[in-house]
Amino acid sequence: MRGARISRWLIAVPMALLALATIYPLVFTANAAMKTRRDYILDRFSLADSLRWDNIVTAWTSAGTARYFVNSVIVVAGAVALLLLLGSMAGFALSHFRFRGSKALLLGCLAALFVPFQVIMVPLVRTMADTGLVDTYPGLILAYVAQFLPFTIYLMASYYSTIPSEIVDAARIDGNSTYGVYRRIMLPMGRPALLSVGVLNALFCWNDVLIALLMMPSAEHRTLMVGVTSLRGQYSADIPTFASGVLIAAVPVLTIYLFFQRRIADAVTAGSTKG
Amino acid sequence: MPLGDSLPLSARSARAERADDMDAAPRRRSRSGRSSWERLAPLVLVAPAVLVIVVFRLWPLLLGVNFSFTGDGDRNGAAVGLDNYAELFADPLFLGALRNVVWLVLLLPIAVAIPGMLATFIYLRVPGHRFYRSVYFFPAVLSPVIVGSIFNLLLAFDGPLNGLLGLVGLGPVDWLGDSRVAMFTVVGVHIWATFGMALVVFLSGFATLDPALLDAARSDGASLPQVIRHVIVPGLSRTIQFVFVTTMIGMLTSMFGLLYVMTSGGPGGSTYLPEYYVWIQQGQMNRPAFAAAASTVLFLVMLVVGLAQVGFLRRTGKED
Repeated sequence: MRGARISRWLIAVPMALLALATIYPLVFTANAAMKTRRDYILDRFSLADSLRWDNIVTAWTSAGTARYFVNSVIVVAGAVALLLLLGSMAGFALSHFRFRGSKALLLGCLAALFVPFQVIMVPLVRTMADTGLVDTYPGLILAYVAQFLPFTIYLMASYYSTIPSEIVDAARIDGNSTYGVYRRIMLPMGRPALLSVGVLNALFCWNDVLIALLMMPSAEHRTLMVGVTSLRGQYSADIPTFASGVLIAAVPVLTIYLFFQRRIADAVTAGSTKG
Repeated sequence: MPLGDSLPLSARSARAERADDMDAAPRRRSRSGRSSWERLAPLVLVAPAVLVIVVFRLWPLLLGVNFSFTGDGDRNGAAVGLDNYAELFADPLFLGALRNVVWLVLLLPIAVAIPGMLATFIYLRVPGHRFYRSVYFFPAVLSPVIVGSIFNLLLAFDGPLNGLLGLVGLGPVDWLGDSRVAMFTVVGVHIWATFGMALVVFLSGFATLDPALLDAARSDGASLPQVIRHVIVPGLSRTIQFVFVTTMIGMLTSMFGLLYVMTSGGPGGSTYLPEYYVWIQQGQMNRPAFAAAASTVLFLVMLVVGLAQVGFLRRTGKED
């Protein structure tokens, strides 16, 4: 018994240290953002003496950060809305109907899951350029939808398959068409799954840099993550302002994490256990 | 309602049975004279999604492979056979990128073992396990750009980590400037940023483990290493296999952000990975056909590594 207690602490100490190592980098960045340039250079470890917001204001107003932020919000909102619409429609159809080729379609979605973006990015950007979609909001939104739709369909189909077909049949007897069943039954009943998948997709799109870098070459259309990488060059001598920019980009994600932690973890594992 | 709990394996067979029922339903209705718009409803609902996936994902894959056999620049569009591939395998930068893939494969067991061990401890309810679960997971939601930027500050030559090393009397390390160290630094940061994902997957695997087996092992007086070896590892073999494959794919395809922010492939090209090489050829060198050849090789590497892992793990699974 006593031996067991000691070994528990032997485990608990490294785990606590690891937790510290997980949190500290963000604390360090937040602390740096609250310092003056001089204070940071003199001592980067000491706690900032007060909550100073002027670095945050500088990072927000200069270098187009506000603009990038808005771009990111537009693109993420558009992509997530479209992903949830197309994903739930296809997920419902693939889980509750069997028609010629429906199995092949589900398999195709699964196969698309394993085609990484790097492998298709060259021809994709060419196709987008040929159709005039490069450097437009719809172009980047479409690229994100194409990237995350297979995963979304897969999760929605898995979720809808847990809704008994008796409910669908009953709604039909009440006079609904298939489209009516989708709109009046499947969309409302799918809310928990839509929320989980939506939050996860929003994180994926918000955090992406590679697709945004390729699809939005001009400065005015830059997303926030691409913007942060350009901040680095601009404020290489002014770390507190740079740290503020990083913080601005991280805060929406951290907020979503605080509110939807369980849902994100659940969506991740739902995609994993049968991937 | 948690999505994870709603997806037991049994749901799948129930769904298959339902699908059989549904098979007859549309035909019945079509005889009773509903419009073809209604009869085609499932196809109409699937069509937009299929269109997007085919046009922007599967078609580009074929296009890319085809494209890799054509030339760039002066020879734009002309068929050049295997020229791009020959050039690729003569480029020391690309060979370096492939060598780094070998390093990733060698480091992979560490990247899987860390979350595996942590998940085991959390499952066995060390003090504060709930807290650890959410703290460990949180870097997984941060963008590689944010993670890379933060670690650029922490790993600077006069930064906190070297300061800490100084306190224990060790010399400073040039984490990102030393070509022998930089790749390991970036992989280390990648592991820091992603072990929470694997941890959560492991924990969901533990949820399917029969607790009676653990109790039995304990009452037989098994030590923790014995429990891990004889109960947990065999019981979670499917989860372990899944984490191995996804962690490897993650290392090959989602380190772009870190490489872009932290090292830009340097110093001296020592932190190139195939995906970064593809990006440089496409975005910087303006050699799309050559980049397509590099991405085809990346795809093959992923396929080989993935299949090899599944095969290897299946074999070791059988021995148990």
